[in-house]
Amino acid sequence: MILSPAERAYLYESLVQKPAIRPGARSDHQFRPLEAKTGFLPNSNGSARIRLNDGSECIISVKSKVVVTRGESSLIEVDIDVPGFRDDSNFVSNLKFSLTNLLITKFPVEYLRLTSKYSFKLFIDCIVISHSSYPLSLISLTSYLALKTTRLPLLTSEVNDEEIEEQPTFSDDWDNAKYIHPTFQPPIFITLGVIGENLLFDPSIEEEQVLENGLILSFYKDKVITPIINMNLATNSNNSNFKGLNQKLIIQSINLCNKYCPAIIKALDTLIEQDDENDDTDNHIF
Amino acid sequence: MISQRKRLSSGLSVTSKVFVRSRNGKALKIVREHYLRNDIPCYSEACNKCHEIIKPDANGELPKFILSKDPNKLKDGSKHYIILDTNIILHTIDLLENIQCFYDVIIPQTVLEEVKNRSIPIYQRLRGLVKSEDKRFVVFHNEFNESTYINRLKNESINDRNDRAIRKVASWYNTHLNDNNNSHENIKIILLCNDKDNRLKANSEGINALSLLEYIDLLPNGEDLRDLIPADSNTFNDFNKDNETSFPEYYSDARIMAGIKNGTLYQGILNISQYNFLQGTVQVPAFKKPLLIIGSKNLNRAFNSDSVIVELLPKDKWREPSYTIIEETSLGADDNAEDADSIGDDDISGTNGVVSDKERLLLAQEAINATNAQSEERRLQPTAKIVGITRRSWRYYVGQIAPTSVIGEDSGNSSKSCFVILMDKLLPKIRIRTRKSKEYLGQRIVISVDSWPSNSRYPNGHFVRSLGEIESAEAETEALLLEHDVEYRPFAKNVLDCLPIEGDNWVVPDLKQTDDPQLKKRIDLRDKLVCSIDPPNCVDIDDALHAKRLSNGNYEVGVHIADVTHFVKPNTALDQEGASRGTSVYLVDKRIDMLPMLLGTNLCSLKPYVDRFAFSVIWELDEDANIINVNFMKSVIKSREAFSYERAQLRIDDKSQTDELTDSMRVLLKLSKKLKQQRLDAGALNLASPEVKVHMDSETSDPNEVEIKKLLETNSLVEEFMLLANISVARKIYDAYPQTAMLRRHAPPPATNFELLNEMLNARKPGMSISLESSKALADSLDRCEDPNDSYFNTLLRIMSTRCMMAAEYFPSGSFGYPEFKHYGLAVDIYTHFTSPIRRYCDVVAHRQLAGAIGYENLDLSHRDKNKMELIVKNINRRHRNAQFAGRASIEYYVGQVMRNNESVHEGYVIKCFNNGIVVLVPKFGIEGLIKLELLGDVNTADYNEDKFELKFTDLNGNKRIVGVFDKVLVDVKSVKDEISGKRKAQLLLK
Repeated sequence: MILSPAERAYLYESLVQKPAIRPGARSDHQFRPLEAKTGFLPNSNGSARIRLNDGSECIISVKSKVVVTRGESSLIEVDIDVPGFRDDSNFVSNLKFSLTNLLITKFPVEYLRLTSKYSFKLFIDCIVISHSSYPLSLISLTSYLALKTTRLPLLTSEVNDEEIEEQPTFSDDWDNAKYIHPTFQPPIFITLGVIGENLLFDPSIEEEQVLENGLILSFYKDKVITPIINMNLATNSNNSNFKGLNQKLIIQSINLCNKYCPAIIKALDTLIEQDDENDDTDNHIF
Repeated sequence: MISQRKRLSSGLSVTSKVFVRSRNGKALKIVREHYLRNDIPCYSEACNKCHEIIKPDANGELPKFILSKDPNKLKDGSKHYIILDTNIILHTIDLLENIQCFYDVIIPQTVLEEVKNRSIPIYQRLRGLVKSEDKRFVVFHNEFNESTYINRLKNESINDRNDRAIRKVASWYNTHLNDNNNSHENIKIILLCNDKDNRLKANSEGINALSLLEYIDLLPNGEDLRDLIPADSNTFNDFNKDNETSFPEYYSDARIMAGIKNGTLYQGILNISQYNFLQGTVQVPAFKKPLLIIGSKNLNRAFNSDSVIVELLPKDKWREPSYTIIEETSLGADDNAEDADSIGDDDISGTNGVVSDKERLLLAQEAINATNAQSEERRLQPTAKIVGITRRSWRYYVGQIAPTSVIGEDSGNSSKSCFVILMDKLLPKIRIRTRKSKEYLGQRIVISVDSWPSNSRYPNGHFVRSLGEIESAEAETEALLLEHDVEYRPFAKNVLDCLPIEGDNWVVPDLKQTDDPQLKKRIDLRDKLVCSIDPPNCVDIDDALHAKRLSNGNYEVGVHIADVTHFVKPNTALDQEGASRGTSVYLVDKRIDMLPMLLGTNLCSLKPYVDRFAFSVIWELDEDANIINVNFMKSVIKSREAFSYERAQLRIDDKSQTDELTDSMRVLLKLSKKLKQQRLDAGALNLASPEVKVHMDSETSDPNEVEIKKLLETNSLVEEFMLLANISVARKIYDAYPQTAMLRRHAPPPATNFELLNEMLNARKPGMSISLESSKALADSLDRCEDPNDSYFNTLLRIMSTRCMMAAEYFPSGSFGYPEFKHYGLAVDIYTHFTSPIRRYCDVVAHRQLAGAIGYENLDLSHRDKNKMELIVKNINRRHRNAQFAGRASIEYYVGQVMRNNESVHEGYVIKCFNNGIVVLVPKFGIEGLIKLELLGDVNTADYNEDKFELKFTDLNGNKRIVGVFDKVLVDVKSVKDEISGKRKAQLLLK
């Protein structure tokens, strides 16, 4: 319980207003300000960190490995670590399942194919250093940045090994390593809070306490895709306001996301570009 | 991608490098921290600055300044240092070792590392040059030096980056030595580089960059050196234009690695057949029998003993091994000779169509069945083609210029191509360019192979030096040392520096008054009646013996071995030199020592009448020579007498001699006979090889007689006790170091080795056969194979059996299980070499291990590390084999010289039969020779009966003759010089 009954009532009243009055003066489709950094882990193929102004922080490292395609059930493996939660806790397994599921179903695996026999396998390791609100969209945005900046060693041997097997060999120059694909945009999750008739993007922890429902939408290639999940975002307290979801709001949320998410993606891409420009001057965040 | 430097402390900063390591199909991003320092000196004696910055190393020693203050001058009189680029070193290592040029040379670390990645042997030779200091080579660690380290630029290839680093070294040296370092006149810094582009860049940066040719021209003695410049890709352009032939390209590494992994390609060492240079075999673990490689297209530019990758050919191309003799020398006489490749080009192209890995695996399975199959299908052997070469066996080769390839009139100074026929007839001829081909005609010359492009029928090489007239003793001796890779150059200065400073005046120190704890551990055995028995005029006396009857009726017997390891301490230059030579090499007129003379013939040699350090093995033996007790100790002995085998024999036989020393020798003899009987009862083999000895006329040192070696009882006296010592030591060191003990094993011969011999026996000598169940059975069956009409037949069979045996080999005990330690020939369960440390490196290791085992001193790490032991063993096995071959070749040469003067008729035995010739062994000279069908009689009447191993033909006199294996024949032996190869060979003619 982080809010007193009076605070809860006040906050609830403000948020059901049309338009909603959000703490921090955000409009309903506005994200919390974030700070991001990419490509700072020297041993990783790709890395990213996002910090929010409330102190939430997530670091993701992507590493690659050459595997025989046939021997792998999936070319992407996600691992999430949240301090204070056991790895087998519902909280962590839910996060892990959501992210893994999204990436496995939507990730264009053909980008990882090296030859007819070999592929890259990606290991995505996330650490949520601290978080206040439900961290799935934080993790997902960080993974977007990390995957976007992931570079894979350049194959120098033959691509066609159907008939005569070849062992893949790679250029030794890291500078020759290629991004996964120039037009590749990893899928992301967006969290929406439902309160009255309002849909609030990226609810903060205080907002979560008074929401009537929560929605998680996935967004890929300029449109909302499945899965769309509804859940109680205030995982660490019981939410007395929680109630059923009006199905009209689902349609509305999809429309909203289709409208605003391209801007989020664009903002993230701009971040990467700016990071690239700064690359030469300072490569370290520590 | 290299991030910026960060200063850690004064003189040390750190940066990092990022790269991709792609090994075994993996791709790993690697990030390395890279430390830079400011205390790396320029190593020039002319420099005034560097003495202030240098710091002592971990041993407290300051770096040595090696580059001369007064370096060699160019033609124009300017002093210069040379900086070498990688491509120069890789191609001209011979020239770098030449004493006429290349002094004061700087090798940037970048270059050293590139050389190491490209060729380990050249890298080692380069390290040798740096180490010996004779030619003033230094390695400058530019990658660790703050002022010369450079970052890789964006999109810069690693080669470009390294070239830039090397240029940076050149410009750094130039400013470092010639600006504000004003106590000397300027020293020119010359960057040698064969890459035109790099030279252009260097010159634009103000660096003096030259190609090798330009540099040699600037040298005062440049004219003499020009021929030594190796061939590069441009040299032979005139040949390559017309594309004489085209060999298939080798597979890419990626394909080879995957192929080996999935079992469609195989790796092995190529062995060219002795009788047919267009046929080779590759022994691959997957198959019981070696794979056949037939024809030059399939051999695909591989040399004998290259490590190659092979791929099976389709089943319809599998063949029986050829029974025809083909020698390159006979083809080589005519340069336009068509390739005797019976397979033909169309065949090859047939296999170029895509065959999938699946089909190949099926093929491999069939090949396994075929090699395992018995009887009817057995003769069909799977064939293969070479698709890659993992390691070239290229080295220096000795040969001579083919006279037919030297064209017409001498047109001045322009260099001409000509062919060099190598002494090793298993190798193809080499194309070289020289201006002095006429001059070198009739001389033995050393050449080195540079490349074999796929469009050239012959490999390209370059002249290294001339050894002298063909058939002169010096040239031939040096040639055979080179051919067998025997290091015969005098010991380097840093090796000799490891010897005791007292030199010949060294004496055993006083045992009583000493502080040396090791000396105190030595046992004083100077009261024992020790003597040595060796061949006459022996100067390196490894071993001495003593025997004494004990009061309890048993005998005390001691074997004393020269204590070489007292002088040869591990990890010194002396030790490394010994380890790399591995063994002394004995030629007819020359001995190439493993250790410097001072040790071998004086300080270590157990000379009579003086005190010497020894490593002693002392047994208590009972009346039947059973071991009651054994002790090992480092000792001091004083030999009473050095006997030759003959003198020892005379003294023992002389009843009037009753002194203690003679008596003890009689005891030794008695015990040795018992030991020998025990050994023979256990199944020790008595094999034979046609060993001969050449008598030299001592005045002129011309060989004038050949004699078969004869053995005295005293030979076997010494031998038995040496065997006993070796066995006892082997047990002791195996006990102390179960993983790394230096041992020697002799594997039982596989049955397949004797298959052919038994088949021959079956066909030619019904009722005789050699059984292989055990060494005892083999020894007994050999004894039974007597031909009442021919007393030599048994010896002949022993000689032929010896050739079917496996070679004995050194190994660290961890490499095999105990049952496989067995020495088949000696019929003992464990064996090592301990008794000749002056001339064998194995014994040196065994000495150190024994010293460690008895707690005399700590054993060096290199003899306790299994991997290091594997390396040592691999080298000494190879050296040992080479030394044997060199010794045999030396005898062969001298036998040839003896025969030159006396042509005569001798008895010989047919030991091999082909469909176009026979091989005859002449026991009197221990030589064997091939008699080709043309010389036997009418080629058209010949009929080879494979089952009976006999050849029917009409001889030159019109008589019908049948000659088969084991037949005794009369042959006319004379020595002829082969004009093409320059080799003197025994020419045999059937009478």
